[in-house]
Amino acid sequence: MAYLELNNISKIFGKTTAVSNFNLKVDRGELVSFLGPSGCGKTTTLRMVAGFENPTEGKIIIDGKDVVNKAPNQRDVGMVFQAYALFPNMTVANNIGFGLKIAKKSPEEIKKRVQEMLDLIHMSDFGIRYPWQLSGGQQQRVALARALAMSPQVLLLDEPLSALDAKIRVSLRAEIRSIQQKLGITAIYVTHDQEEALSISDRIVVMYDGRTEQIGTPFQIYNFPETAFVASFIGTLNSFNAEVTDLKNSILSIGGLHLTTAENLEGRKVGDKVMIAIRPERINFSSEQKKANLFDCSIENITFLGSIVRIQVKVGDLRLFMDTFNNPFLELPKIGSTAEITCSREAVIILNQEMI
Amino acid sequence: MNLITKIHKVPFWSWFWFILGVLYFVLPLYATLVFSLQMERDTLSFKAYESAFADPEFLKTFTYSIGLAIMTIIASIALVVPTAYWIRLRLPEARRIVEFITLMPFVVPAIILVFGLIRIYSAPLNIPFTSITLIPPLTNFKVGTNILIIAGYIVLGLPYMYRSVDTGMRTVDVRTLTEAAQSMGANWGTIVVKVILPNVRTALLSGALLTFAIVVGEVILASFLGVPAFGPYLFLLGQHRAYEPAALSFTSFLLTWAAMGIIQLITGGQGQTTGAH
Repeated sequence: MAYLELNNISKIFGKTTAVSNFNLKVDRGELVSFLGPSGCGKTTTLRMVAGFENPTEGKIIIDGKDVVNKAPNQRDVGMVFQAYALFPNMTVANNIGFGLKIAKKSPEEIKKRVQEMLDLIHMSDFGIRYPWQLSGGQQQRVALARALAMSPQVLLLDEPLSALDAKIRVSLRAEIRSIQQKLGITAIYVTHDQEEALSISDRIVVMYDGRTEQIGTPFQIYNFPETAFVASFIGTLNSFNAEVTDLKNSILSIGGLHLTTAENLEGRKVGDKVMIAIRPERINFSSEQKKANLFDCSIENITFLGSIVRIQVKVGDLRLFMDTFNNPFLELPKIGSTAEITCSREAVIILNQEMI
Repeated sequence: MNLITKIHKVPFWSWFWFILGVLYFVLPLYATLVFSLQMERDTLSFKAYESAFADPEFLKTFTYSIGLAIMTIIASIALVVPTAYWIRLRLPEARRIVEFITLMPFVVPAIILVFGLIRIYSAPLNIPFTSITLIPPLTNFKVGTNILIIAGYIVLGLPYMYRSVDTGMRTVDVRTLTEAAQSMGANWGTIVVKVILPNVRTALLSGALLTFAIVVGEVILASFLGVPAFGPYLFLLGQHRAYEPAALSFTSFLLTWAAMGIIQLITGGQGQTTGAH
């Protein structure tokens, strides 16, 4: 039985449906990310779990108990906010111990627990400082410690790294994940940053327009997107409208080009329109060996992106991006030159919906 | 870069407007001070101050006005803090209406306010269609008149108190702080006392100071409601004496500055919400 269940959750603000028929089961100790663009309903869903918004419909069950009618201060959930939300009038230690004081724990117990939390976030000597004496990253670590001090049933993180610079974001997300795994706490993490979601999550819920688009592991979400939105939102993507031309050999045509796919075309018929997608890193310059999908192309543009080099090529009337790993001895083609590119049958994915 | 170089780098017009501003504020104060020290011919002395403070009416009216100011501040905080808090938290759409209401004292003169108060509260307020008295005529007894004048002062101080508190709440993002406290199990009482009030302390003190200054110097409400307040006393003194009102005016300025100094001392270093880098 799942530890946290969201059953048919909907939230309507006036005439706007923010969340529609949302379903999710989260196991104990699992970290699930809500990923999507602004306004997709991810934060609203999180706030409903926290109790700051009431669902228009549906149930929220934590450890077998429906908490929909419980006030936020009775739900036993810890929350980390984007804007840290540390109490400016209190020291770091008092911030962390605030919930424990509310719960009427003894001063000794509070002191011990606060120190444990400070040690956990590697800020053992920062207890006497005030929030304004800390950097953004340190403030967010304190906010995390404060949320964890009460040993909540569920930890909710609402874009906790959005206000931090890139380097701190990367190190802090690893720290959050490590602490979450160490404590074995069930967590929901809201983000619009796909890299963050892919790196930190056990599972990702991709949301769009108040709906769930796909739920899966980071590997599944990236490599096997089920909808056009997921495919376009996660990573860079080459996508095209294609037509089924040969069912037996799984051949699709785009303009005058023919592509072979490994996807099952069962239930389709010749002439059906489908949306296909190919990740840039799945396209390579051709080696000697004959591949399934081999095309002549001209090199249109080359962009250096650090660890990868993105090359824009033109095949017939189609423009594609292909990615190749950077290395100091990489021999790149010249812009305007021609080359042969290829991709495997497995790289050609058929999407379920029309492209957005 | 040393100080002289820094001063030279400030553009001419910046200096011009700065000096003009200083003169605008300081000259009248300087003139009042000099005048208040010239009670004795050809010499500067504190004679006007001695004379003013020696008058028993001064102490009586001044302490009475301070009492009114304290009561007004307490009642204003009790009214404004929960209102501003709830508007920020749950009723942001009501902010425009409330801001409009709080600005009414700038539009409706105090004389209208006091006549309205006298007209309504000088007769008993009965339950409609009965002869049962709900509120007796407040102007007929001392406590009632004090209640009326404090209510009037709350209205006069609203623009300052509400804006101070509202700005303070915006600075500390009360909504997120409230949610953070709620998620840790705090109830409304704890949130207001332990989280909100300490974090809007500076704003409260600013609003309180402005309210204090308004109440201590107010003349119209106090005169028409016939209370022995400092404002009417100063006004009457000005009609009969020359130097003492100047001495008392300057003393009022000093008291205001002292209050501001105290606020700075109490709130020094607080209210910073941005992170160090």
